[in-house]
Amino acid sequence: MACADCKQNGLQTKEAMIARVDAIIDRVGTSRRIIIPLLQALQAEFSYLPSDALQRVYERTEIDRAQMISVSTFYAQFRHIPYGRHIIKVCTGTACHVKGANNVYDAFRRELNMDEETITTADQQYSIEKIACLGCCALAPVVQIDEKIFGHVQPGRVREVLDEFQQYAQEQEAQAADEAKEPPIGEVRLGMENCCQASGTAAIYQAVLDASHELGIKVAIKPVSCVGACNQVPLIDVALPDGSIERYPNVKPEEIKEILLHHFKPASRLRRWKNALLNQIDMFHTDTTWDNILWKSEQERTGTINTFLSRQKRISTEGYGIISPLDIDEYMAHEGFAALEKAVTTMPRQAVIDTILQSGLRGRGGGGFPTGRKWSLVAATDKTEKYVICNGDEGDPGAFMDRILLESYPLRVIEGMIIAGYAVGARKGIFYIRAEYPQAVIRTRKAIELCREKGLLGEKLFGSDFSFDVTIFEGAGAFVCGEETALIASIEGQRGFPRQRPPYPAVEGLFGCPTLINNVETLSQISYIIRHGAEAYRTIGTEKSPGTKVFALAGKVCHGGLIEVPMGTTLNQIIEDIGGGVEGGEKLKAVQTGGPSGGCIPAELCDAPVDFDALTRMGAIMGSGGMVVLSESSCMVDVARYFLSFTCQESCGKCTFCRVGIRRMLDILDRLCTGKGTMEDIDKLEELAISIKQMALCGLGKTAPNPVLSTLKYFRKEYEEHVQGICRTGTCKEMVKLEVTEACVGCTKCAKACPSDAIPYTPYERHHINMEQCVLCGLCIDECSYDAIRKVALKS
Amino acid sequence: MQITINNQVIEVHEGETLIEVARRAGLELPSMCYAKGAKHKSSCMVCVVKNVQTGQMIPSCSTLPTEGMVIDTQSEEVLKLRQLSLELLLSDHRADCEAPCSIVCPKGLDVEHLLWLYDTRRLAEARSFLAATFPLDQLGCANCKAPCEKACRRGTVDKAVQIRAIIQSLAERTDLALLPAVTPHAADKKSFISKLGRFTPKEKEWLKETVDAPSRCLHCACPGHTDCKLRRYATEAGIKRPRYEVSSALPVKEKIHVNGRLWYEPAKCIRCGLCVYNSDNGFTFERRGFVMQVVIPEENRSNVPEQLATLCPTGALFLME
Repeated sequence: MACADCKQNGLQTKEAMIARVDAIIDRVGTSRRIIIPLLQALQAEFSYLPSDALQRVYERTEIDRAQMISVSTFYAQFRHIPYGRHIIKVCTGTACHVKGANNVYDAFRRELNMDEETITTADQQYSIEKIACLGCCALAPVVQIDEKIFGHVQPGRVREVLDEFQQYAQEQEAQAADEAKEPPIGEVRLGMENCCQASGTAAIYQAVLDASHELGIKVAIKPVSCVGACNQVPLIDVALPDGSIERYPNVKPEEIKEILLHHFKPASRLRRWKNALLNQIDMFHTDTTWDNILWKSEQERTGTINTFLSRQKRISTEGYGIISPLDIDEYMAHEGFAALEKAVTTMPRQAVIDTILQSGLRGRGGGGFPTGRKWSLVAATDKTEKYVICNGDEGDPGAFMDRILLESYPLRVIEGMIIAGYAVGARKGIFYIRAEYPQAVIRTRKAIELCREKGLLGEKLFGSDFSFDVTIFEGAGAFVCGEETALIASIEGQRGFPRQRPPYPAVEGLFGCPTLINNVETLSQISYIIRHGAEAYRTIGTEKSPGTKVFALAGKVCHGGLIEVPMGTTLNQIIEDIGGGVEGGEKLKAVQTGGPSGGCIPAELCDAPVDFDALTRMGAIMGSGGMVVLSESSCMVDVARYFLSFTCQESCGKCTFCRVGIRRMLDILDRLCTGKGTMEDIDKLEELAISIKQMALCGLGKTAPNPVLSTLKYFRKEYEEHVQGICRTGTCKEMVKLEVTEACVGCTKCAKACPSDAIPYTPYERHHINMEQCVLCGLCIDECSYDAIRKVALKS
Repeated sequence: MQITINNQVIEVHEGETLIEVARRAGLELPSMCYAKGAKHKSSCMVCVVKNVQTGQMIPSCSTLPTEGMVIDTQSEEVLKLRQLSLELLLSDHRADCEAPCSIVCPKGLDVEHLLWLYDTRRLAEARSFLAATFPLDQLGCANCKAPCEKACRRGTVDKAVQIRAIIQSLAERTDLALLPAVTPHAADKKSFISKLGRFTPKEKEWLKETVDAPSRCLHCACPGHTDCKLRRYATEAGIKRPRYEVSSALPVKEKIHVNGRLWYEPAKCIRCGLCVYNSDNGFTFERRGFVMQVVIPEENRSNVPEQLATLCPTGALFLME
């Protein structure tokens, strides 16, 4: 840590620090527009932005103090104070929120003995922060410590998670690679995305390594793209020499040895004999072997997963589980870059645009603007300098489509982007990827390099006069930068203020040049359309919304994950057939689509087919594709408040209605959720919501009231009940209490678990909860083996 | 090009925005974040008008007219939204337009101004100002129930300013000659008056520590009150008090000396950004959303010209000797 060094070495280290700053400036540049990459590099070096380093930046670059303050305090990524050695990021995305992320956050703070005002432990080991969304919604609640992700973290598991992390950190330091020389006889494929890693794929990876070493079976371990069945992970595919594949969902590390032995024979006869003997001994010593995964039939093993996958149609995620994200030869063997070659070598630019126009493809980022029309607008300008930007600033809490597409299918997105560049006559492409997705950035960067090596990026592609190259710009943590004019402002090195349109970016965009901005998913649909033609594409989906849509299915659903379905599939089909119904046998209450810009669709409307227009009619929006299932135990007022507090934090602050108006709406919702609201408040809330929709200037502000308006429309009664002080779901803490029922046997488990000493230690007596001390964390409910503690409404 | 504003057909000049067209045609349109000839970005939405053809509400200060546009600037719908934008700005404006003591004085004395002269040690001026309001020999303070001291904001911090004692002491200073022609100005009670509300415990502590004027007066009255657009439009719109809970993330009562005669009081800022966009490495935005504020780093203070005060639509930037 730089700060500790400073104290020890005084002046000398300041000089050393300046040398480090200078090296970064030499590498990154000195113009005003590179401020964000420069600050990112400085933070990577020092773990925060030391003021001495910033002073050096003023001296050596065009960046002045006004710009520095303006930009470095706008983006959530930048820190001005030193943090602890490890950073705990508690995800508070929608899915995590409905599963109790706030309780997890509180539990960490309690476990680490943090005061109310600090965010760093006294020993400087840990800092804690809430983060908008890690994009691992199927594993909610999720926590990330440094680079390692933990899924299904309950308040009671906090200590366990910290211990596991410490062990992991030690192992990381000690780990040494062991590369064998023999050629592999088979292949084990496993997903290595964030969510797979969170569910323990790393342990599986290690187990495969160990087992192959121990058994003398040399197998290649291949990280593959996401299957999307995030609830079935860790999941491995064993590819046999004959080309067939055996799939094992939910594997445990101890099962790996068995699986390998089942499929492969060790290289030497002696090893075979030894293994057989040792296995027999194992069998006698452990009874677990008898319930081994191998004894189950194929159907039993993969039953749920096959229904999960069967209703889906894959365009953006074509080649799931088969294609390695960064194996360019394999991608090309599966028709990869065929569309690009076809477009560049056989189609005039206008023909490409016409194909996209005829396909009816609509932008997948939220608005649903016809992609072909956007392309025509950019192509129509006669300026020579044009840009194509891929918008990967997916900030909706509860959405992780773009992350998985970029992590798993970066080559397809790049292909779509090059085709777009060819069609509109641009030479430069920029990937804008949010900082919270480091894996996506790494994969995309690597994929770009691979394309350059293959001559798919660069000068005169396919012998034509078309040249194109791509760079990556990492977002710095601002939801508003998903709005295209704000995104442009941030690439130009300013705070992410949206500006008024027109002029549209298609006419006057990045650095004043015509700019095409398409969402990740939109670009990933392009190659399919070019390969199969507009007609074939139109046969999928509905008339006004052709094609497929990728959704991030999460919340209170049995099997969450990334899904891709034809437009027009109903919400019920998605929840029942793909998602396996509502979790815990509860009744469906509503589905939230479109994140903070969308709305809640009540259960009775869930048989409506999903497309752009149907969702808008119901008061929600397609958005980028977050889909959070809400059950009877979800409080709709709380859900509305959750989204409003998100947009309130993410508002850029420029305009009155968004900056102040949303804050005032949140004030009212806070009052409602604490039982202090009045009926008049509900009317005021509605009036404000409608006015903000009319008066906000950008997409964020205009859509921010949607969660409130849609819940008011379908669940007004619940608002009125909150005025009377009733929250039936027990979510709003001020309106509930915990009660110990007669089932209590006095086992004292709850008393031991209680972090606030609200339950007196009374063995063999029915326990009693002191409500003044209770923090309603719910730990006792989890601990109780007799189901004797319940949340009940204060009033009824 | 021609457009229609409120049924009146108007010829558009090259490069004009809607507000400029409307104002040239003699229509009155309020605006705060816009100043003619200065760099600006639409934000306040006080200048909102309706595009009748699309039904959209648009900021007239930055929208360029298109051929045949039909604009409405004064329907009830527009006026209501304009009023709401002012109400929202006022709900984030923890400041007093007039000092409470000046408002309540039965004799109509601008008490705060008197204390200002007293605190800046212009005692002769202070005495003359007092004399211009009422004859010194008929000073009624001794028998007055002193609503000024009851209303005093300092009273909510620790103890009210001893207003009557100060007035008495000034009246007794016969050694100070009365200056000729002092205009007695009084508090403007007819216009809208923004009220600061209660101080938080933290603010009270801070005020106790930092306010050290001889009279102990907090000087609540806004130095910009004669030229505040927010107050003027709120009065025109007939707003009595904001309908929304007043809360602000801005520091209350903090006055920053920028340079020369230029002062900055963040609590009165509506964050329109005119001072940011029109100063080079001077004022800048800090943070985002509701807690966003305009700041002036110490190192940048000399980069700001005094004229910037004329751009500020409220009393946040003001000139003071």
